[in-house]
Amino acid sequence: MRMKRNDAVAALLGAGALLAAAPAATLAQDVPVGHLADFSGPTADVGRPYGQGVADAIAYINSHGGVGGKKIAAETIDYSYKAPQAIAAYKGWSGRGVVAIQGWGTADTEALIGFVTNDKIPYYSASYAATLTDPVGGSRAGKGAPYNFFYGPSYSDYARGMVQWAADDWKKKGGKGKPKYVHMGANHPYPNSPKAAAEEYARELGFEVLTPIEYSLKPADFTAQCLTLKQSGANYAYLGNTSGSNVAVLKACQTVGVKVQFLGNVWGMDENAMKAAGNAASNVVYPVRTSVIWTDARAPRMAMMRDISKMSDPGGTAYRASHYLAAVCATLYMKEAMDWAAAHGGITGENIRKGMYARQNWVPKGTEGVCMPSTWTAQDHRSVLRFDLYRTEVKGGEGELKDLIAEGAITMTRLTTIELPRKTEWLGW
Amino acid sequence: MAGTVALRPCGDFRTTYGDDQTIFPTRLSLAFCVLGVAALCLAPFVFGKYALSLLIQIGYLGIAALGLNILVGFTGQISIGHAVFFGFGAFASAYISNELNVPVFFAIPLAGVATTAVGLLFGVPAARLKGLYLAIATLAAQFILEDFFARARWFTGGVAGTPAKSFSIFGTDISGDHGYFYVVLAYLVILFLAAANLMRTRDGRALVAVRDHYLSAEMMGINLTKYRTMSFGVSAFYAGIGGALYAHYLGFVSVEGFDILFSIQFLAMIIIGGLGSVMGSLMGTVFMVLLPEAMGGLARMLSGSTIDRLLSLDEGIVFLREMAIGAAIVLFLIFEPDGLAHRWRQIRAYWKLYPFSH
Repeated sequence: MRMKRNDAVAALLGAGALLAAAPAATLAQDVPVGHLADFSGPTADVGRPYGQGVADAIAYINSHGGVGGKKIAAETIDYSYKAPQAIAAYKGWSGRGVVAIQGWGTADTEALIGFVTNDKIPYYSASYAATLTDPVGGSRAGKGAPYNFFYGPSYSDYARGMVQWAADDWKKKGGKGKPKYVHMGANHPYPNSPKAAAEEYARELGFEVLTPIEYSLKPADFTAQCLTLKQSGANYAYLGNTSGSNVAVLKACQTVGVKVQFLGNVWGMDENAMKAAGNAASNVVYPVRTSVIWTDARAPRMAMMRDISKMSDPGGTAYRASHYLAAVCATLYMKEAMDWAAAHGGITGENIRKGMYARQNWVPKGTEGVCMPSTWTAQDHRSVLRFDLYRTEVKGGEGELKDLIAEGAITMTRLTTIELPRKTEWLGW
Repeated sequence: MAGTVALRPCGDFRTTYGDDQTIFPTRLSLAFCVLGVAALCLAPFVFGKYALSLLIQIGYLGIAALGLNILVGFTGQISIGHAVFFGFGAFASAYISNELNVPVFFAIPLAGVATTAVGLLFGVPAARLKGLYLAIATLAAQFILEDFFARARWFTGGVAGTPAKSFSIFGTDISGDHGYFYVVLAYLVILFLAAANLMRTRDGRALVAVRDHYLSAEMMGINLTKYRTMSFGVSAFYAGIGGALYAHYLGFVSVEGFDILFSIQFLAMIIIGGLGSVMGSLMGTVFMVLLPEAMGGLARMLSGSTIDRLLSLDEGIVFLREMAIGAAIVLFLIFEPDGLAHRWRQIRAYWKLYPFSH
């Protein structure tokens, strides 16, 4: 009896060792790409649709000829939004010679700047921190980030745009005196990223800037924060966290009876959050970084997006949140830069970077009218300076997201398009 | 390496004090140990980068786990804040090398000393508290230091974290896994020998006496306050060194890694490995490092397969890993409460008498 247990333990350990050795193998002729995703951490609410977008876009690319005749061999690692895990994943990838990486959060992307610069690996983050937009260095960002790219405006530029909208809105409503602006968010690099830029711009536009209110990235009871917000008498509140946490804030503030215009950040409001928050999410103003959202899925210009979506949803019935489209755009920009590299000396990190600079005001083929035309230059990685502002209206109700939207229980109305000037002094912060 | 002050099998008599106190019970075990280290020296030439990074991880975590084992397994105290001492070592070493411009070679032991000081400070309540009360006191250390890491920008870079320089000797950069493996191995061998040695000394025996029966220990003239506090200090030193090695391996330190779950993981390592066993700490670490990797591999194999589709695991597949870790700990507590070290002794005993075991 005793020996049997010994054997079982030995067998288990042996099996474990075999399994541990298994994932090291990769195909030599493929293009190795890393994909860092948060499926289980505090930003998993938006990490899932975005990660799905990247995966579907890569599957679509591979089933349509790949890049330069080769397939993209992407390895997805779920790092639970922990920067140290991201660095460990990066070390594995750089050892295996990946040529590009689809990344995720602000803390990890900023921590990796030095590494990817040294190893010359283009890093497409889903963090839009302004610190990543200065490829040369010397701006307020400090060191340059020559190998960091992302699709869409920076967090700071979104926030500036919304502050600009708030100033107009205040005038339009005939508000008297100085409007009050407050930044809300967790003490974390991502919500902190646009804080200084937006507050400075708000002061410039005549706002009174209040003390920031802190709330965690993990949803919790935020009644205390809402009471503070109510007491402060703020008119415009910037929500810096991702949608899951914002849902909790919006619900708590509805209960407390806060009357304030909420401004969601680009990850802070989406279709899933509207469904989760019910009518507490009504009347939130938030930015969208693609020219369309999935409510226009039937439009002819969305043909390619529909095909990409079918990669994981063959029936073609799923509703894709706005993050999904942004992920597809980001992946396709990488793909076209790889195509350029393949035609100009081979797919290496350095050539992919040059491929990003090769064109001006460009969109990946087939995404015209979906992805915003973008320009990256060796001096300025602020690819886009325009975005649409939407306002939410949620009546509430039960059922699937796509039905709620079809019934009109959830509506998103385009308010305006914001266009920011390309100011040199705004680069990098 | 015995270094064990646990139960001895029957028939294992020691006739001299010298015998009783050896680090290595037989010449053969000494030879095996030396051979093992020599074999490990060849590891960078044999293993790929992936396996090597796991070995390095086992190295720095093993050092920290040994520290916790000295506190929990040998002294009978409890700490559920070991991760923050590990973190303090990491931040301290990064700070000493970045801001004070001390070479990393010296920054690592200095970080160990700094962490010892912090450990002694938080060990002071241990002199008066026992059991659950002590557990809560160490929980306080976890929260106080975690919050300190998030706010002390001058020291840790705040929530954005701080970069850590790579290890170098005489201007030669040793940042690659190949070179750094030897640095970790050297620390591992020295610190494990030191711990095994500590248990042979007057102080080490005092620690064990405190664990076995504190009242009798006190009656024999052992200063409980001194030894309990000292145990916290030694434990923090090991954690600090482990953390510093981790910092310079990763090249970046950030507060989010050092949460209470990480502290619990250290406890799991020594429980699985075997409380009160030097080698057990290493075995438990090996187990805890390889288990998630194995489960991750399993999840990757399963994803897209028939089982995945049948059970519609889908996104849940990533959580399979976490669940397996939990299950492993429960199973160990039920079937192997004395840990891997005990199991190892059983296997050894079996082969000693092979094929005539009773």
